[in-house]
Amino acid sequence: MKKILFFCAALLLSAAFVAAQTEPAHIGRVKGTSGMVSIQRAGALKPAFPNMKVYLNDTLLTGSDGAVGILLEDNTLLSMGPMSRLALDKFDFSPAQNKYALQLRMEQGTFVYLSGLLGKLAPHAVSLDTPSGTISMLKDTNFMARFGGDE
Amino acid sequence: MKRIHGLFVGLSLMAAAGGCAGKDNLIVLTPDDSGRVGALKVSNDGGETVLDREGQALHLGDRRTSPGAPAPISDEERAFFAAALAAQPLAPVSYFLCFEFDSNNLTAESRQRLDDILRAARERGSQDFLVIGHTDRAGDADYNAALSLQRAEAVRELLAEKGVAAEVIQISSHGEGNPLIPTADEVAEARNRRVEVVVR
Repeated sequence: MKKILFFCAALLLSAAFVAAQTEPAHIGRVKGTSGMVSIQRAGALKPAFPNMKVYLNDTLLTGSDGAVGILLEDNTLLSMGPMSRLALDKFDFSPAQNKYALQLRMEQGTFVYLSGLLGKLAPHAVSLDTPSGTISMLKDTNFMARFGGDE
Repeated sequence: MKRIHGLFVGLSLMAAAGGCAGKDNLIVLTPDDSGRVGALKVSNDGGETVLDREGQALHLGDRRTSPGAPAPISDEERAFFAAALAAQPLAPVSYFLCFEFDSNNLTAESRQRLDDILRAARERGSQDFLVIGHTDRAGDADYNAALSLQRAEAVRELLAEKGVAAEVIQISSHGEGNPLIPTADEVAEARNRRVEVVVR
């Protein structure tokens, strides 16, 4: 009996482990694309298409004719124009645990940022790294930005 | 060796001065739905500046160049953002569907709203629906937990009948614990007998 219990527990644990390993929660979705848009994930570059899920540590890239819009799980709306690069460095939207974080790296290009629930509930948890310095939110804020990238 | 080091410092100072003259980088605030702008701070090795007014932009160099003071943005500069603005997704939208008392039948009025939900999904190319069931506080909490789930399932069925794939609908239920209109226990309140459908 003990053995069976142990076996069941081990099975449950390994199932939980496999679930955690194979299915990290997505943090948003691609909503629309035009022209060439890619996602760099774990070293590989794949084409982006509407409704594709995006994950932590993804980098979104657009080509010279590209544009993309994404919706994060907290309703932050981000879009970017041609020749742009955006890295998703940190995202935590857990109101039940009172945990909030959003950290993005705008490396190059043009960006439109429309604040979501993270920006409303915890503006100080939002920070954006850019070639010109760090943007920190003092309150719920929408903005547009353009960066030529690091020379 | 010292001289070589000095040469490098000289070169990097020139590069910094060049970046300063460029100031091609730009940040500008945009208003929210109610017309208000927020506030942000840009900090780098050269200092920090707060941007908190509409129509004002920070014209920025690299990380070593002071962010400087906000200045008006020109129409030419605004035009840089046309492609990114055109790619901006529509914000998610919520609908409340109401139910008859102690039932998972939609009210006639709410039944009419299903088409609005489908239209919103088409506009967004959405494959991401949240369906959240609720009850009022009449009756026992456990009973209401089950009823709120039945209501969410009923809405999922109705959406599926209209052609929405079941796997793109996430359902959840909050029982009587998350009322739209707060009431005392055992109060029947029509507006709380609802399912929220979020089209993302």
